Amino acid sequence: MSLRVLNPNAEVLNKSAALHMNINAAKGLQDVLKTNLGPKGTIKMLVGGAGDIKLTKDGNTLLKEMGIERKNVKDEGTSKNLEWIEWKRIHQIQNPTAIMIARTAVAQDDISGDGTTSTVLFIGELMKQSERYIDEGMHPRVLVDGFEIAKKATLQFLERFKTPVVMGEEPDKEILKMVARTTLRTKLYEALADQLTDIVVNAVLCIRKPEESIDLFMVEIMHMRHKFDVDTRLVEGLVLDHGSRHPDMKRRAENSYILTCNVSLEYEKSEINSGFFYSNAEQREAMVAAERRQVDERVQKIIELKNKVCSGNDKNFVVINQKGIDPPSLDLLARAGIIALRRAKRRNMERLVLACGGEAVNSVDDLTPDCLGWAGLVYEHILGEEKYTFVENVKNPYSCTILIKGPNDHTIAQIKDAVRDGLRAVKNTIEDASVVLGAGAFEVAARQYLINEVKKTVKGRAQLGVEAFADALLVVPKTLAENSGLDTQDVIIALKGEHDQGNVVGLNQHTGEPIDPQMEGIFDNYSVKRQIINSGSQELRMVTFSATIIMAKLSGQCNQALIFPNLTCCRGNRLDLKIFSFSQMGWQCCAQSITFE
Amino acid sequence: MKEIVTIQVGGFANYIGSHFWNFQDELLGLAADPYSDPVFTNHSLNMDVLYRTGETQQGAVTYSPRLVSVDFQVRHANAEGDFFTTDLGNYVEWSRSHASMSSSGMSYNKVASAPTDVVTWNGNVSTYAAEPRRRNLFLQRLHEEDQENWSQVNSINGGRNKPQGVIQDEDVIDFLENSVEYWTDFSKVQYHPQSLYELSGLWMDVQEFDSYGVGRDAFSWDSQGEEISERLRFFVEECDHIQGFQFIVDDSGGFSAVAAGFLEDIVDEYRNTPVLLYAVRDPGSHMIHKSRKQSISRNLHDAVSFSRLSSLSKLIVPVGLPSLSRSKASMFLGIEDAKPYHCSAVYAASLHSISLPFRMEALGPTADSCYISGAADINGVIQMLAGQSRKNWVAILDVAMPAPSLTGKQAEQSLLGNLQPLTPEIAEDMEDLQAVESMTIQGALGSGGHRAPVCEVKDTVHAAYENAITRPKFCSLSVALCPLPIPLPFPKIFSSIVGQHGELLGSPVSGSSLKGSLDVHSIPLASRLRSSNAILPFLENRLGNLQKFGTRQGAAGADLLRRWGFGKEELEEMGESISKMVMELDPNSQMSSESD
Ligand SMILES: Nc1ncnc2c1ncn2[C@@H]1O[C@H](COP(=O)(O)OP(=O)(O)OP(=O)(O)O)[C@@H](O)[C@H]1O
Ligand SMILES: [Mg+2]
Repeated sequence: MSLRVLNPNAEVLNKSAALHMNINAAKGLQDVLKTNLGPKGTIKMLVGGAGDIKLTKDGNTLLKEMGIERKNVKDEGTSKNLEWIEWKRIHQIQNPTAIMIARTAVAQDDISGDGTTSTVLFIGELMKQSERYIDEGMHPRVLVDGFEIAKKATLQFLERFKTPVVMGEEPDKEILKMVARTTLRTKLYEALADQLTDIVVNAVLCIRKPEESIDLFMVEIMHMRHKFDVDTRLVEGLVLDHGSRHPDMKRRAENSYILTCNVSLEYEKSEINSGFFYSNAEQREAMVAAERRQVDERVQKIIELKNKVCSGNDKNFVVINQKGIDPPSLDLLARAGIIALRRAKRRNMERLVLACGGEAVNSVDDLTPDCLGWAGLVYEHILGEEKYTFVENVKNPYSCTILIKGPNDHTIAQIKDAVRDGLRAVKNTIEDASVVLGAGAFEVAARQYLINEVKKTVKGRAQLGVEAFADALLVVPKTLAENSGLDTQDVIIALKGEHDQGNVVGLNQHTGEPIDPQMEGIFDNYSVKRQIINSGSQELRMVTFSATIIMAKLSGQCNQALIFPNLTCCRGNRLDLKIFSFSQMGWQCCAQSITFE
Repeated sequence: MKEIVTIQVGGFANYIGSHFWNFQDELLGLAADPYSDPVFTNHSLNMDVLYRTGETQQGAVTYSPRLVSVDFQVRHANAEGDFFTTDLGNYVEWSRSHASMSSSGMSYNKVASAPTDVVTWNGNVSTYAAEPRRRNLFLQRLHEEDQENWSQVNSINGGRNKPQGVIQDEDVIDFLENSVEYWTDFSKVQYHPQSLYELSGLWMDVQEFDSYGVGRDAFSWDSQGEEISERLRFFVEECDHIQGFQFIVDDSGGFSAVAAGFLEDIVDEYRNTPVLLYAVRDPGSHMIHKSRKQSISRNLHDAVSFSRLSSLSKLIVPVGLPSLSRSKASMFLGIEDAKPYHCSAVYAASLHSISLPFRMEALGPTADSCYISGAADINGVIQMLAGQSRKNWVAILDVAMPAPSLTGKQAEQSLLGNLQPLTPEIAEDMEDLQAVESMTIQGALGSGGHRAPVCEVKDTVHAAYENAITRPKFCSLSVALCPLPIPLPFPKIFSSIVGQHGELLGSPVSGSSLKGSLDVHSIPLASRLRSSNAILPFLENRLGNLQKFGTRQGAAGADLLRRWGFGKEELEEMGESISKMVMELDPNSQMSSESD
């Protein structure tokens, strides 16, 4: 078969080369991410050309690191350093298929917060399976039909397989902890993971309001480069990353009213010296004075409220403002014994009210004591130039802060990634009202179900598609075994055997023996599993269909692919082709017919 | 003192920023050096306007730009990791250890000895190492100087012996001329760890990140912008009286959309703080496109980008000529258009001098010192240029580099005549009685090659305007005695006619090559922001293209705009707002509305 493309720059590959290129891209990604999976996975240290270091065990973060990099074209070819070549391979996701997989996986993370690595592995494995069957002459469409059937069946099976969790008034804390621990232990060493388990569970329970969906933004994640990872803790209240800006303000206050506001307390008009705007100096000064007076009046209203609620008692008054507060205003407030913070994060307006009560006000015109929140303790902590303000001992908080500590940025970043995963896992569990047995148990069970029950109901060669899909599911337990240094074959045989006898087991990552994940408390999120199975169904269809994708890298343009809609037609003389171009929007058809011989 | 926070978004913006901060760093160095010229030690410019004082956790005092920079992930030499400890020093150390690495690769021990032991994971660690960047002579020299200072501080007798194998200035300059690839390659500034933000996870080539639509897709401000705005907040919170944002954006591609997201956020959060926006481009982005499709896409990008950015700032200054080398602005310069390192130096110099009035120590409305005159803040300049009876918030940037000396008969004409535009697509010789200008002259030379006193500069300029054929309605003038210092990593772009202090030598030394920082130590500079109807072609081109390719019935680019995420109404609004701008400048315009 020959093909003539109008663009001479196009790199034309023959049919099988094109397919293999796609599959290789998928495999390449799979290879890189494979060792990440599970509690025995490998953490990756990426050392850049300038010696900068990134550390990650998270599939999502790693994929993002593999994104754009300014390449030094001159260096290509001259390099003999093996590791560099390796680096470049993982560091430049450029093949459209790889980009597509990466995007799918990262989307997975955006939606359910976990399972990126599994998604990449699963898609990669499906591609490998496809390769085998297509090489044996099977038509991709038939294969994809089989995949579709298998996917539907697996999703149905998941519904039966999942473990429901009753979420009443008080969620089952033990189960939440088990899910959180499972995910945290895939990112942090055990003792630290276990410590964080309580923190993330309590954080989610703190912000949860019955009948409302959980807004994880109401958990502030703050970090301090200070002390050790194990000093990470949950603050029931809020930690702000700034302090007061006046030397005379107290650094510590007990029993404080909290005023949360978004009111400008600074003089903002321009002072121009050219005399261009004002006909004379007096006029100018009058303008300045009037402007200043307005600001002072606003400050005065706050002071009045303070006097009203604090006179005759030993209570304190703290203002946390989203807008600016200039030095004259700070002076006035300090003299009135008020602690004032300026330029608070927008989101902290909401968090403060949830943590301390009261309401966030946008104007000081009708301030009443009802607007005020309350905190038993407000204090400042200073580390070099970094200031932190703790607002603690609050009543009934619906917002809290996870304060991450660590000796360096890398430690902090690791913990932060893990905490995000943990929070999502707890939230998912509550919202899914169910969990799924982990350690490969689900994957093996689903595979046996597909092979033993579903396959025989399918007619013809689509059966092979079901089989391929079923085998691809095994990539998860296989990789878990491999990462634990175990013999994958032995492990898989043992697991299958147990499942055939009706024992739902997963793999013990230390010994390779079958274990009961329920007993061990290894649970994954239902929604994450669901999404992994669903993942890429769209993209996958496209890639596998394009068994005859021909990559045409047009100079300076995005990647384009010519897709033959139907393999058998290709033997003809003329054919209508679709040209798809891959862009941020995904694949899009940009031209319909091209003549080729 | 009123603080400015600087924001740099995108490749070329950061190139300009890199030079800009090198100038500031040079000024700081000269001010601290007892042997330097008094104009540098008493410049009466308050550097705190642009810089912040901080402190490391170890208690060391730091002084760093109040800056948020956004760019692609590049491997920063001096801004990763620990506060000022993984700076240039580590870069060099790393590159040495990499360079000496055998083909068996980097040993784990080396990594483990870095401050990055993996403390959070008990399992395996695998390392992927990039090939080290080529040795950067300039950064290496900086590092050695640092160490030298360090050892001088430490040794009691303060041995002045230069260490063996010290790198020569000439070698450094040659290196930079030939090898600059990133803007960090020639930066001598220590940035705050919060300053440099890198985009990751875009999965595309830099070349593909070439339009507003691509930028908007690849980087969604709503979901990814939070960390950037948090960094900005860090710098703003410290300010007692922020006067404004100096925002430089490379708007030739996807960064335009990133900047628009950022600006929206700023307008939301800091409503009354003005943004002075420079939309900059390097000559490479003006290349002529082969296919019609590409050129439509480019034209639409230009229109959409301008419309979005101008609607979000108080004053927008488009900067960047299709060919700087062949422009009149380069009369005394030898620029290679293909080198962003060259072009950005010229633009950075102009931005530097425009920023001088913002940091002149005001001694009161009328009192001028003998070092400065004409202090103004960002809001003042913006009000003057944009907030007159005629509302025009698109300004033209002009420069005279170096500025001619004030002596001689033609001095008056030559000063105004030498100011040449750096803004593209503008009309020449347009009569505009309503024009408003803000000019800054720094370090001007007078008779005998001496620095002209501030009052002499003022008088000369006023006289020049008196005698000019066309005069603006109003011109504000700011003068600083302090010239533009030329730091070592400044490119070799002065023609041989330029002398050591930026004076123009009588006769060009024939056949001699271009001069750099070793031959030219400082230059006088004049720059100007101008609100004038000369900007009309620029506006009309954008409006015309938007209509022709975008909004007109059956327009060729309508689909493209839809894919970029623009709705019909939004586009019509854009068209209307540009046509309003046109109307304002030219009430008789034919382009006022869609008339077909
Ligand atoms: N103690 C355990 N023993 C065996 N398998 C486990 C254990 N804990 C977790 N797993 C399994 O590890 C897998 C999750 O690993 P990991 O979190 O590294 O990858 P991921 O969730 O797919 O991707 P990422 O977290 O990087 O987005 C799940 O299949 C889970 O069942
Ligand atoms: Mg996970």
